[in-house]
Amino acid sequence: MIPMALLVVSLTWGLIRIAPGNFYSTERKLPAAVEATIRAKYGLDDPWYKQYATMMSNVVRGDFGDSLKYQGQTVNEIIWRHLPYSATIGILAYLFALIVGLGAGTYAALKQNSILDFGPMSLAMFGLSIPNFVLAPVLVMIFAFWLYALPPARWGGFSSLILPVITLGAIYAAYIARLTRAGMLEVLRSDFIRTARAKGLNDRTVLLRHAFRGGILPVISFTGPALAALLAGTVVVEKVYALPGLGDIFIKAVLNRDEPLVLGIVAFLSILIMAFNLIVDISYGFLDPRIRYE
Amino acid sequence: MIKALLRGYRIALTALIAVGLLSSCSTSADSRYFGKTEPPAENILRYISGPEPEILDPQISDGQPEARIYMALFEGLVEYGPKDQQPIPALAKRWEISSKVDEFVFHLRDDAKWSDGKPITARDFVYSYRRGFDPKTISRTAQLGFFVKYSEAFKSGGVFVKKGDSYLLEKDFGATEHERAPQLGPETEHNKFMRSASRLVLDGDEKKRAKALAADPKLAEAVNGAELVPVKAEDIGVEAIDDRSVRITLRQSAPFFLGLLAHQFFRLVPEHVVEKHGKNWTRPQNIVTNGAFKVKEHRPYDALILEKDPNYWDAANVGLDGIHFYPIEELSTIMNLYKAGSIDAMLNHVVPSSWIGEIRQYKDEYLDFPEIALAYYSMNTQKAPFNDIKVRKAFIAGLDREALSSFRKITQPLYAISPTGTFPDYDKARDRVSEELRKEQGVAPEEWAKKGRFDRELAHKLLGEAGFPVVKKGDGWECPTFPTDTISITYNTNENNRAVAEFIQAQWKQNLGITVPLKTMEFKAFLPYMKGLEYSGFSQFLWSGDYMDPYSFLSLMYGPSNEGATGYYDPKFDKMLDEANSELDPIKRYDTLARAEFYLLDQAPVVPLTVNATNWLKKPYLKGMYPNPGTLIPWKFVYIERDPAKWDRDVSNIMTTPDARVDKHLADLVSSNSK
Repeated sequence: MIPMALLVVSLTWGLIRIAPGNFYSTERKLPAAVEATIRAKYGLDDPWYKQYATMMSNVVRGDFGDSLKYQGQTVNEIIWRHLPYSATIGILAYLFALIVGLGAGTYAALKQNSILDFGPMSLAMFGLSIPNFVLAPVLVMIFAFWLYALPPARWGGFSSLILPVITLGAIYAAYIARLTRAGMLEVLRSDFIRTARAKGLNDRTVLLRHAFRGGILPVISFTGPALAALLAGTVVVEKVYALPGLGDIFIKAVLNRDEPLVLGIVAFLSILIMAFNLIVDISYGFLDPRIRYE
Repeated sequence: MIKALLRGYRIALTALIAVGLLSSCSTSADSRYFGKTEPPAENILRYISGPEPEILDPQISDGQPEARIYMALFEGLVEYGPKDQQPIPALAKRWEISSKVDEFVFHLRDDAKWSDGKPITARDFVYSYRRGFDPKTISRTAQLGFFVKYSEAFKSGGVFVKKGDSYLLEKDFGATEHERAPQLGPETEHNKFMRSASRLVLDGDEKKRAKALAADPKLAEAVNGAELVPVKAEDIGVEAIDDRSVRITLRQSAPFFLGLLAHQFFRLVPEHVVEKHGKNWTRPQNIVTNGAFKVKEHRPYDALILEKDPNYWDAANVGLDGIHFYPIEELSTIMNLYKAGSIDAMLNHVVPSSWIGEIRQYKDEYLDFPEIALAYYSMNTQKAPFNDIKVRKAFIAGLDREALSSFRKITQPLYAISPTGTFPDYDKARDRVSEELRKEQGVAPEEWAKKGRFDRELAHKLLGEAGFPVVKKGDGWECPTFPTDTISITYNTNENNRAVAEFIQAQWKQNLGITVPLKTMEFKAFLPYMKGLEYSGFSQFLWSGDYMDPYSFLSLMYGPSNEGATGYYDPKFDKMLDEANSELDPIKRYDTLARAEFYLLDQAPVVPLTVNATNWLKKPYLKGMYPNPGTLIPWKFVYIERDPAKWDRDVSNIMTTPDARVDKHLADLVSSNSK
C-alpha cells in the first residue's frame, strides 16, 4: 500500500512540474529580486532530482510542509481541518443512499415485474441520469425559495446538511437500488432459499437471515470505491452549497499550483481508497460463506 | 417490513405531489425587493468577500478580496473615502505636502492603539514600511511603493558605490537629478541624506552587475576599486521625526502618491507581534490589528468573523458591531444566499449575465457604476503581422465595441487606454486635449468624432496597405492572404471570457473576412504565455487600477519591461508621462497625461474593449455603503437602518443622496486635516 501511495505521489509531482505556470504568478509582474527570493526560498533553482529527493523525504516522514498559497498554514493542518466536513457529508450521503437504495431494491425484487417494481426502478434510473449540478439547483429552488424550509447554502446545523446529503446521495441510492434488486433476484432464485422456505421458515426470516446477506454482496463491493469517492469527490456539491470540504480545496490547490497541498491530498486520498478496498475485501469473507481467506 | 416500506413509498409520493401543488401556487411575496429583505437581528454585516483570503497580512498578498478584508482589520496613514475613494485622514490626522509633491510629513493622532491596547507611534510606520520593502518579505505589491526613495534599491538587494569618503552619484552617469522642493519639517541626518544628490545603485548580484559594467566602460572604470555598500533598511525614505510625526521622501514628484498610501501595502503591521510569532503572527490566537474591527474567529473556507474593536480610535462612530466575511466564489450560490436573506451584500462582478435583465429591475438594490477596471486585447507588437501598426489599427477599426458592450450588458465601450467615467476631472482634460489636437491637425469635428470608432472601410483600406487586401465574397468579405494560422485570440478559461472572444471573433469575420482562431488556457498556464509574449495576435488583458489616477493605467506601457504584455516600449511616451508627473498643477498634469494617452492610442498597442461595471447588490437597509470604483468599502461608515422609511431608494442616485450620519462623520474626519 505504501509503495503504491509513493508511486502515486511521484507521478503527481511530475505532472505538476510539467504543467505550465507557477504558484507565485499573478496578473502583476513581480520585481526580479522578489522572484529570485521566492525561488531561493523554495529551492526551485536546484536540479530536479534534488528537489524530488527533498520532496520525497518530507512525504515519507508524513510532513508535506506549508501550503504555498495559504502561507503559514501547513498541509496536514488543512487536510485535518477540512476532512471532517467532507466526511460528515460523505458518510451521511452514503447512509442515505444505503437506506433508500437497499429498501427500494429489496422491495422491487420481491415484487418483481409488478408496478411496485417498475415504479421505484424507473425512479432509480431517473436518479442515475440526473447529474448533481442539475439536482442541486432544483432542490434549492423547491426547499429554499418555494417552501422557505431549508437554507440554500453554507455550513451550519443539521438543516443545512439535508440538501447536500440528498444531492450527493441520490445517484448512489439509485445505483444501490439497482444493485440490490439484481443481487436479491439472483439469491431469491437459488437453492438454499428454496430449502429455507421448504423448512417452513416465514418470509421475514428468509429474507433477512438468508437472502439479504448474499443479495447485498454487490453493494458491499461497491461501498469501498463509493465511500472513497464520497469523501473526496464532492467538489460540485461543496461548490454549489458553499461547504468547506476537501474536494473544492483540492481542485483549487491544483489550479493554484500549490504543490505541497496537492501532494498531501493525493497521498491521503490514495491511501484512503486502498484502505477502503482492503476493508471491503475482508468483509466479503464474513458475508459470503463461499469466500474464505486462508 | 414490506408494509412499512409500502407506507413509506406512499408518504413519499404524497410529499412529492404536495411539493408540486405548493410550488405551483406560491408566488414571490414582495416584488419590490429581490428575495427576503429583513434587517438581521444583530448589528452584524454578512458579506461575501470572494475567494478564501490567502493570508491576513496586508503586505503580502495582492488580491482585491483580501484588500477588502484588510480595510476592516488594518489602517494606514490615510483611508479610502467611501464614495470617491479619495484619501481621507486615518491614523494621520493631518499632513503637509511639499510644493513638488516629493516629500510628506504626517502628524499622527494621539489616541490610536493596536487591538491589544499598545499605542501606535511613528516607529510602527518605519517598521512596517521597512518590512514591506525588505527583500526577505515576499510582497507582491511592494513595487507600487517604489516612489519612496531607495526603496527599490533596498528591495532588489542593490548596492551603493563608495569611493573614498563619497558615493558615486546617479547624475554623473547620465541620469537627471530631480530638483527637490524646499524642505518640510525639521532638519535631521536622515533628511539631509534623503535630500542630497541621489546615489548610484548597482545590482547586488555579481553576475548581473558584471554584465551592466561590461556594457558601460565609463561606469566600469569608476566602480573599479570602489567599495560596494549594500542598501539597508535605514536608507529608504521613511523617517520617524518624533513619536507622532512620520516623514516620507520620494525619489521624484508623484502627485498621486497620497492616494496610494491607502493601499494595503502601506497599512500597519504590529512589530511586537510579527517579531514574536514570525510566520504564525496572523493566526487567530496571535493576530493583533489596528482597524475598526478585529478577528474573533477564523474558520477557513467558511467564515472570517470580525467584531468591533473597542480600542479603535474612532470606535464611537463605527456603525456595526461586527462583520462576517464568507468566502464563496460560486456566483449562483451567492445570489441564492442573497435572495434567501442570509447575506446583506456581496463583492463586485457577482450578478451572472443571464440574471442581469431580471436583477436590473430591483432599483433599490442593484449597483451599476463605472469601475476602475477595464478590458483590452493586447497585441503582440513584436511578431508579424502585428508588428505593423496598420494591421493593428485595422483590427481596432474593424470591431464594433458598442455592439460588444450591449452584448455584455454590464459594460461600457472603451476607446481609450484609461477608463472613461471613472475619473471625472480627467475625462474633462481628455475632452480639452482632444479638441486641441483636432485644431492642431485641422480635422473637421465630424471626422474627428469617428477617430478610433468602428469603421469598416478604414479597416479594409489599412489591411490593403499592409498587403492583405480584403475582397468581397458573396454577402461578406474575405482576406485570403492574411496568415490566420499563425495567430489567435488567447484568453484564460472562463465562461465570460469565452463569450467575449467568440463575439469578437464573429465581428472580425463579418467585418474583415478574417477568422482568428480562439485559444483558451487555464489561468496559471495563460499568465506566462501572455506576459512572456509567447502569444501571437491577441491576448486578453484585464486590469484594475491600484489608485485613483489614470497613471495607474497609462503606466502599463511605461518602461522597457512593462506590464502591458504587448512588447511595446517607446521612450518618447515615457518622457511624456515623466513630464506629466513633474507637473504640479493638477489640471495641467491631467492635460499632459491626456496628451500622452492620445499619443499612445495612436500607436495602437492594444484593442481597447470595455470599462467594467460594479455589478453587485446590497439590501436597502444597509446604509453608508457605496459602489465606489474599486468596491473598496471603508467599513466603519456602514450601518444597518431598521426604519424602512429611511432605507435606500433608487440606488442610481446613491452617490448624490445625502446621508446625515455618513456626511457628518466624513466632514469631521476631513476637518482634522485643515486644523
